[in-house]
Amino acid sequence: MTETTRTIEVNQLARVEGEGALHLAIDGGQLTAAQLRIFEPPRYFEALLRGRDCREAPDITARICGICPVAYLMSSCAAIEDLCGLSVPAPIADLRRLLYCGEWIESHVLHMFMLHLPDFLGYPDAVSMAREHGDLVRTALRIKKAGNGIVALLGGREIHPINVRIGGFYRLPTRAELAPLRDELAWALDAAEQALLPLAALDFPDFERAYTFVALRHDSEYPMGRGRLVSSDGIDLPVASYDDYLTEHHVRHSTSLHSRTAAGGVVHLGPLARYALNHDRLTPRARAAAQAAGLPPVVRNPFRSILVRGVEVVLALEEALRLIDGYVPGDTPAVAFEPRAGTGYGATEAPRGVLYHRYTVGEDGLITDAKIVAPTSVNQAVIEADLRHYVEPNLHRPDAELRAVCETAIRNYDPCISCSAHFLKLTVERR
Amino acid sequence: MHEHSLIANLLSRIDAVAREHSATRVVGVSVWIGALAHISASHFREHFEDGSRGSLAQGARLDIEVSDDPEHPQAQDILLRSVEVG
Repeated sequence: MTETTRTIEVNQLARVEGEGALHLAIDGGQLTAAQLRIFEPPRYFEALLRGRDCREAPDITARICGICPVAYLMSSCAAIEDLCGLSVPAPIADLRRLLYCGEWIESHVLHMFMLHLPDFLGYPDAVSMAREHGDLVRTALRIKKAGNGIVALLGGREIHPINVRIGGFYRLPTRAELAPLRDELAWALDAAEQALLPLAALDFPDFERAYTFVALRHDSEYPMGRGRLVSSDGIDLPVASYDDYLTEHHVRHSTSLHSRTAAGGVVHLGPLARYALNHDRLTPRARAAAQAAGLPPVVRNPFRSILVRGVEVVLALEEALRLIDGYVPGDTPAVAFEPRAGTGYGATEAPRGVLYHRYTVGEDGLITDAKIVAPTSVNQAVIEADLRHYVEPNLHRPDAELRAVCETAIRNYDPCISCSAHFLKLTVERR
Repeated sequence: MHEHSLIANLLSRIDAVAREHSATRVVGVSVWIGALAHISASHFREHFEDGSRGSLAQGARLDIEVSDDPEHPQAQDILLRSVEVG
């Protein structure tokens, strides 16, 4: 320090990562622009995959997200297996569904109770909410932990699982290893049904939109790891035709690409879409839970997504118990295969919606091209459209209140930017 | 992966501290990098110099202390220790 300078002690954490912002332009009381700006730096995973052995794709892409790594594992396996003409036997497909159930449970419960519920109850975060709703938070954490238990056992660890490979798993669990999960999952199923009831009584904004829903649909099961691509406006396509339906475009205000249909339309992925397009595939207790929560077969109010997620938690818990009870280990943990040249397509239902992977592989088994479309990027356009409709009647409110309104609307989608709890930098340009 | 947001956040804090003290320029910045933080000192310096262009901290001296203690309770963090203003 010199005579002309002074040092100010700060000692604050500098590391706060994950950035999103919303820009609203208001001209003469009219909303003229609503831009959700995601400026997380590009991560170049698709470029990173080029030149790598196609068998490495699941492990590499699983690192894209710490909240839904199973979705990345499953979509990349589906794409490479499609490329190689590989069909996994039923015991392996069942185990993969069980693993996916684990991820749905932990991810949905985290979003419902830790991120979304505080908005409805008027708390800034789950920690503040826990002071007055301790039992509810403890119950939610215990349900989430039951999901973590599945991922830890089948995946080898809770975060970024390592036990999945093309054709199956590295190691299959024994029946004796699965059995201890059962009691906790059975408790969690009852608890999830009960926890949904008070949520159904929340005061939801009276807001509906005519979305184009897009999800997977399978002949016999509620979609997680397989199915055709269907929409509420009638498309029914194999996953290999994804690129014919949705294309990605760069927009100046986001580092995340936006998706549009060939006709320029925006689509809505995630729980509301899955539920609307697969209501007839719900498990019995999930259907009963939906009825108890007062949900019709199609829900168009995005704020009620907290309830649909709850129904999917019930479904995932019920499915997990069924799969554990019926589990008979196969002879081999993975189907043998040799990589071959070609292009493979895979899509699975991540908690936030359809996660699409496409890989082109050369004769040497190395990836020459990769495309990965995360559901959050597809949903960006529909989030912006929601904001335009929802914010318009609230423009007269002070910026701080407007920010809370916008955060709640964005959080309906559980957008997967690392700071989705309290992330929004709001700029309002009023003229 | 997240250098951009990390540096943007750091600079925003530095800017706030400087303005709180009615400073017109930032002369020096002192940071502490935990042993398990996801950035090296040289990488941090490079991003700081790049990110601070046009801000009050442009051209500021950057003092970096790197901890080698992985058991430190803040081993994964980066701390803004102090801001020297003119």
